[in-house]
Amino acid sequence: MSNTISPHIFRAYDIRGLYNKDIFPETFYYIGASAGTYLKQDLGGKHLTVGCDIRKSSPTLVHSFIAGVTSTGVDVLFTGTTSFGQTLFKGWKKNQDLISFVTASHLPPEWNGIKFYYGDGVGLPEEELMKIRDYTLKNSQTLSNWQEIGTVTQTESNKDYSQFFKDRCSFKNKLRVAIDCGGASMTLSAPEVFANVGLEVIPVFCEPDPLFSKRPSDPKPQNLDVLIKKVKENNCDFGVAFDGDGDRSVIVDNSGKILSADQTGIIIGKLGNLNKGTVIVNVECSKAVKEQLEPLGYRIKQIPVGHTFLTLEAKKENSPLGIESSGHLIIPNYFLFDDAIVVPLKIAEILDNTKLSLSEIVKEIPIYPTRKEEIPCPDEIKFDVIDKLKRKLSEEYSDTNLMDGIRINLENGWVLIRCSNTSPVIRLTTEADSEKIVDEIITDFKEKTEEIIKQVK
Amino acid sequence: MGQLFGTNGIRGVVNQDMNAKFCLEISSAIGTYFRKKFSSPKIAIGTDARLSNSMLRSAVAAGLLATGCKVVDIGIVPSPVVQYTVKKKDFSAGIIITASHNPPEFNGIKVIAEDGTELSKEIEDKIELIYFNKEISLVDWQEVGTYNQYNDAIDFYRQNILSTIDVELIKRKKFHIVLDCGGGAGCTVTPKLLKDLGCEVTCLFCRLDGTFSGRNSEPLIKNLSELLKKVPEVNADFGVAQDGDADRAIFVDENGKYLLGDKTLALAAKYFTKRNKGGIIVTPITSSSCVNDVVIKYGGTVIQTAVGSPIVARTMIDNNALFGGEENGGLIFPDFQYCRDSMMSILKIMEIMAIEDKTLSELISEIPHYDMFKIKVACPNDIKKTVLKQMEENIEIGKPTRIDKTDGLKLYFREGWVLVRPSGTEPIFRIYSESDDPKQAENLAFEFKEKIEEIISKNRN
Repeated sequence: MSNTISPHIFRAYDIRGLYNKDIFPETFYYIGASAGTYLKQDLGGKHLTVGCDIRKSSPTLVHSFIAGVTSTGVDVLFTGTTSFGQTLFKGWKKNQDLISFVTASHLPPEWNGIKFYYGDGVGLPEEELMKIRDYTLKNSQTLSNWQEIGTVTQTESNKDYSQFFKDRCSFKNKLRVAIDCGGASMTLSAPEVFANVGLEVIPVFCEPDPLFSKRPSDPKPQNLDVLIKKVKENNCDFGVAFDGDGDRSVIVDNSGKILSADQTGIIIGKLGNLNKGTVIVNVECSKAVKEQLEPLGYRIKQIPVGHTFLTLEAKKENSPLGIESSGHLIIPNYFLFDDAIVVPLKIAEILDNTKLSLSEIVKEIPIYPTRKEEIPCPDEIKFDVIDKLKRKLSEEYSDTNLMDGIRINLENGWVLIRCSNTSPVIRLTTEADSEKIVDEIITDFKEKTEEIIKQVK
Repeated sequence: MGQLFGTNGIRGVVNQDMNAKFCLEISSAIGTYFRKKFSSPKIAIGTDARLSNSMLRSAVAAGLLATGCKVVDIGIVPSPVVQYTVKKKDFSAGIIITASHNPPEFNGIKVIAEDGTELSKEIEDKIELIYFNKEISLVDWQEVGTYNQYNDAIDFYRQNILSTIDVELIKRKKFHIVLDCGGGAGCTVTPKLLKDLGCEVTCLFCRLDGTFSGRNSEPLIKNLSELLKKVPEVNADFGVAQDGDADRAIFVDENGKYLLGDKTLALAAKYFTKRNKGGIIVTPITSSSCVNDVVIKYGGTVIQTAVGSPIVARTMIDNNALFGGEENGGLIFPDFQYCRDSMMSILKIMEIMAIEDKTLSELISEIPHYDMFKIKVACPNDIKKTVLKQMEENIEIGKPTRIDKTDGLKLYFREGWVLVRPSGTEPIFRIYSESDDPKQAENLAFEFKEKIEEIISKNRN
């Protein structure tokens, strides 16, 4: 058994590490006791829901976690092995104070971790997760006395979840959708939900496989060959690939083209019959989002990169849609949490109500050239450099956003300059109307950044 | 050794010494042991009704899974149900999370071997070594065990237990029973079982209650006042009280008289020996001589063992015994399984009553009566061995007719017997004495109390 807990398993949005190297069952016991302490002392609550994904190490970690939570006097609703969405749904429906899910999302199978949400479906912001971290690292959990030890109720997570979508989705046409679950946790929910609502399912890697041997759990373009082939072979209306736990999706159109998160979000905003409110996007999003959605009556609000911001802001702004460039999309009309199943269901709904194919719809959305560059910058000074850049550039330019690094919106493009949280680099991201303009912007701002780095050094 | 495992598994106060972290660690030591013994161990976990059952179950499951054991959760069930399930459903081992009759702030872990019996001291020592020497072996992610639930343990047990008795005979009697489950795990099985046998059941404390708010979990006479009152009040044929994990049953006759465990032990022993025209009965040396009397009368033999139900069970297996049990209400019926089983005890007593067609008080009146006297004498743990040895060397007291050193020192006299044995769990010596004359029993006990106190004070310095 490990005795010390490595602080680096606590990331900004979740906890993660290599099983039997960084995280042990004992670690999750302490995290559970910390989560319970946080729930009781900081939230004044008593009810926590937890489930786990299909990773091999999940059973021992989730049960240690539960032991820790109950030791503080918090009652646990245990959903078992589920997709991310199924557990979040149960916790949300049952008005729990905290919902947790044991998973390492899209990381390889030897990893595991856990993430936390409030009962309304909003992800725990970084500063709240740090409270759980602090209770853990300081070993300052509060255990209850024997009369108040928490109880564990086991519950199934399929029926209500499936019914929820059956009640909300009905199709006039029999659409054909290829579903790539990657052998991961979505195998437990997506095929059944899709079949239940009346879609014809072409399954790809829909057998649970905790070794992720069929494809890596990250639905990156290079991992989607089989899905693309199946979409074309079977004349599917579209295809969808999910990541390891089911909080991210990637859409493939009927011609086999992979859509970006921004494109998917734009299509849903344009044709998804949503309320015209504030759409939440992050500072890396394409300018096409604003161009396509503002004319329809939406307001666009940019937030920092990181999916926990997405749910929090969407709740604050009562948004109809949230788009994260990494592939988290939320459609709060269903619920706030980022259960990726809503995306393909919405796309199916859109296709059901138009004569156009998805590829035809996508053609109408402009794609602008983008570029990413990294400038080496020592960890000790990178935040300083960004601060100075913020001050300097916000004086020089009028349309800036300082939430996460600095994004400057120019006439025919934009640039985003921010620190990497994990590496000694400063990242530049650019999008513009043409490659030529991209070149110009990158060169210009690379110079400006390197200038400041030199100054600070 | 024996720092953790006492005579009845590991016990402690919840969230103090019996906490989730400890359970996580000890279950990993247990899992490490079984993973070495079996290539793909499958372990069942059952709990009693205590409030901390979920927490400890989760911790134990996690520890077992982490060492590569498959875990099957069989729910809140009596200990005999765990044992039966382990034996019959191909488990490598079982874990019972219970503190039996201890107060509600306690809980504990008991390990069951693949044949359904309680783990031997030898293996408990091995597990303790793994724990204390930090030799726990966690497996890599690919080999972590799987967790499942088995929800049919109670039904499986019920169906099988009914097949060991004459159901029709018992049904015809239409027994009226007052059943006191004490809020313990017996609630999950016993009421339904009795109704399956056509009994009218008056229930006391038959709802699971981990606080034991109805009555103390130990079925001592002082804790059963409601039961003693109820039986004659409703004209029941008898009453029965179970302890917290339902492996022990104490009976009350139709008049509301509390029956000492020795009596029902002797009743069952008599029945088996008579029916078999001889045979071997096994019981600890603390049991009353009335057991010996009835068994010998009907041509059988009694093997007396050291105290401890696992020892009784093992001796029964080794000697192909007919029956065995302790004087605390824990009876073992080999036809069904080699462990104490209160449900089986209740069914068997009913069967005996039905076959003999007599009331319980009548049947008990046929058992010879002796009076037992018990006292405790304080003695520091580290001098117990010396004191006992010196007691043995001074045996001329009263010139015993027989000496038995199976567990402590038991001396037989014309008027009865006395037993002096060191407690396995507390810093005391226990003195038991028995005679058909209560005064003699008391005298014997005090005589030996004096003697041992002398020796103890001599050895204190």
